[in-house]
Amino acid sequence: MGKRLQSPGWMTIYGFLLPGIVLYLFVVVVPLILSIHFSFFRWSGGLSKDFIGWDNYSHLMQDGKFWNSFRNNMIITVLSIVGQLGIAFVLAVILQAKWVRLREFHRTVLFLPVVLPAVVVGFIWNLIYSQNYGILNGMLQGLHLGSWIRPWLDDPKIVIYSVTVPIVWQWIGLYLIIFMASIQSIPAEIYESAEIDGATGFRKVVSITLPMMYDTLKVAVMLCIAGNMKIFDNIFVMTGGGPGNSSTVMAQYAYNTSFGKFQLGYGSAISIGMIILSLALILLSRRLMGGRSVEA
Amino acid sequence: MLALGTTAAMLALAGCGSGNGNSDAPPSGSASAGSTSPDAGSAGPIKLTLGDRLLETSTDGSVIAHRQMIEEFKKEHPNVEISEESLQDATYKTKIKTLAAGNDLPDVFELLGSDAQMFADNKLILPLDDIMNQDPEWKQGFIPSTLNDFTVNGQLVGAPMQMLSTSLIFYNKEIFDKVGITEFPKTWPDFLKAIDTLKANGYTPISLGNKDKWVAESCILSELGDRFTGTDWFSSIKNRQGAKFTDKPFVDALAALQQLSKVGAFNTDMNSIDNNQQRTAYYNGKAAMFLEGDWAISSLSSEAPQEIKDNTHLAILPAVDGGAGKPNAVSGGAAWAFAINANLKGDKLQAAIDLVKKLTGVEEANLAAENNAVAATVPTDYDKSKVVPLFNEYLQLFQGLELSPIYDAQLSPAVIETMNNGLQDLLIQSVTPEQLAKDIQSTYEGS
Repeated sequence: MGKRLQSPGWMTIYGFLLPGIVLYLFVVVVPLILSIHFSFFRWSGGLSKDFIGWDNYSHLMQDGKFWNSFRNNMIITVLSIVGQLGIAFVLAVILQAKWVRLREFHRTVLFLPVVLPAVVVGFIWNLIYSQNYGILNGMLQGLHLGSWIRPWLDDPKIVIYSVTVPIVWQWIGLYLIIFMASIQSIPAEIYESAEIDGATGFRKVVSITLPMMYDTLKVAVMLCIAGNMKIFDNIFVMTGGGPGNSSTVMAQYAYNTSFGKFQLGYGSAISIGMIILSLALILLSRRLMGGRSVEA
Repeated sequence: MLALGTTAAMLALAGCGSGNGNSDAPPSGSASAGSTSPDAGSAGPIKLTLGDRLLETSTDGSVIAHRQMIEEFKKEHPNVEISEESLQDATYKTKIKTLAAGNDLPDVFELLGSDAQMFADNKLILPLDDIMNQDPEWKQGFIPSTLNDFTVNGQLVGAPMQMLSTSLIFYNKEIFDKVGITEFPKTWPDFLKAIDTLKANGYTPISLGNKDKWVAESCILSELGDRFTGTDWFSSIKNRQGAKFTDKPFVDALAALQQLSKVGAFNTDMNSIDNNQQRTAYYNGKAAMFLEGDWAISSLSSEAPQEIKDNTHLAILPAVDGGAGKPNAVSGGAAWAFAINANLKGDKLQAAIDLVKKLTGVEEANLAAENNAVAATVPTDYDKSKVVPLFNEYLQLFQGLELSPIYDAQLSPAVIETMNNGLQDLLIQSVTPEQLAKDIQSTYEGS
């Protein structure tokens, strides 16, 4: 061991933490408090604000459009958990296999969509889905599957699913990296002793890999829920919440209400509603997933 | 980092309505002392922020004319630095409202008619009556009805920048002749028949790009609504004198629009392409018509293949049986104006006034006319040979028309937002006309 550094005093510690804390306070905490404050008013952005107490919230509870957008968020979240986490898990397991070449290359390529801005992803997929000029329809025509062509971004029944695909596509890489790191930390002896007992590939995954990375899985599910409850950019660029309100998510609804209709008080209430619902879902997921313990 | 955090806090506090607009606008300098003499450059460069939709890539004649005026202004006033932000239409509409909510508006900016009431009530824009009265030549250059469009609470709050008709039918006569329609339909039943014929021959009858949500409302419903309801109904709505959106004529108008969608008059991707892309199908000869305003005339002239240009003609929506509106009404008006931030004083204010005068003066009107656009100011002298035949056709057509109000230039933003969103639903049969009317009515009553 080398020289041991003198333990820094509390002033140094707080001094270094201060910029980060201040930034966090002003960018996250203060706007949050202001939002809660605004949600009790009727306010159209100017100088006049009317205090209306819980009216915004009681209106929110009965607002069909809000619950519709919540339903859209739920669809996206569920599909993302299955898609992003599921596919990422499968890929992580495959990439661990001994016969895979160019592991680094695969990881980089799969991670690439994660670094793209959501707006870029939205535009790319807009082009892919384009009725007359898009690759998707072109491919389907070419494979003589023309009957499968739908108005991807116009049909209100399927638009929410069309819009989920790019979201899933974009974030697989992130969970892949997380899962790969977690899998690599599983000691190799466990696998070896399992093989001695005669466990094959699939059995190994289910009985060893999954339980050993369960904690990581819990965190991933939490990230997934949190991220998808506030999803906005991709959908805004692709459909703007349309047609009508069929692909509107809660963040889009808050945006439309605040800046389209000039109802900033109600828009703030919607945002607070989003937070409450997201927290509730995350707590629920932790309750559902947190019960099992891992036997090493 | 601390400065960033403090700025963020200041922005948040400004949003509380403290009314101080000078604290954090990024590029503009501070206002000078209260002298009202014209800019003599004595206090150093005057910085103005300008917010507009005048994209440099636009083919719209009005934009081209305004852009040139800005360039000329910069040359004539070397001591004024203009920091300009040009945004696309839909983005601009949202951004300007956001800036208004944060009391962070640019010094000079484009004002949409429907926002005028709200901005004026919140004291964000400068009343221009005194300024206009000091320059009678400028004031009298305007078409009178355009000034009315921007008079709120008895005060003029913007200098109108153009005169639009928003609901014109651009149709390809060659296609119509091919399918056997020799004359453009003059009644609603004939219009529907024409659509059926066009469809049967493999054409998209009307190419619609409603992704930004205003096209169906500005370019179709404003005029179609008027055919059913008449303009008196609209005045009653605007002045809150008892008319309702749930009145039968308006619901009928919504039903007629939905009927067009039901019989397949539109392209299937109507809600995922915008108004620029709707013209593409028309240029390719796949669509027989598209509905847009007169701003599309100059776009068409520079974008369309010659064949399409030669065969394009203009029409308006046909008359409706039993409708209260005039059959020769076209939805139109000033729609947009240049407004001045109420916080300006002294040299900065004078520079802003000069800029606005340049942008809405006779010079601009003449340039606009040469680019196939109509300004709010009457052009006195322009080179008629530069104008495309379609524009002349428009001017002639316009002489026989009367103006009916453009919905999104007159109604409150909340009502427009509900209407626009709802129209997308209406077009895909997700909502009935009665439900949409009720929705709009409840937003109207709540605001």
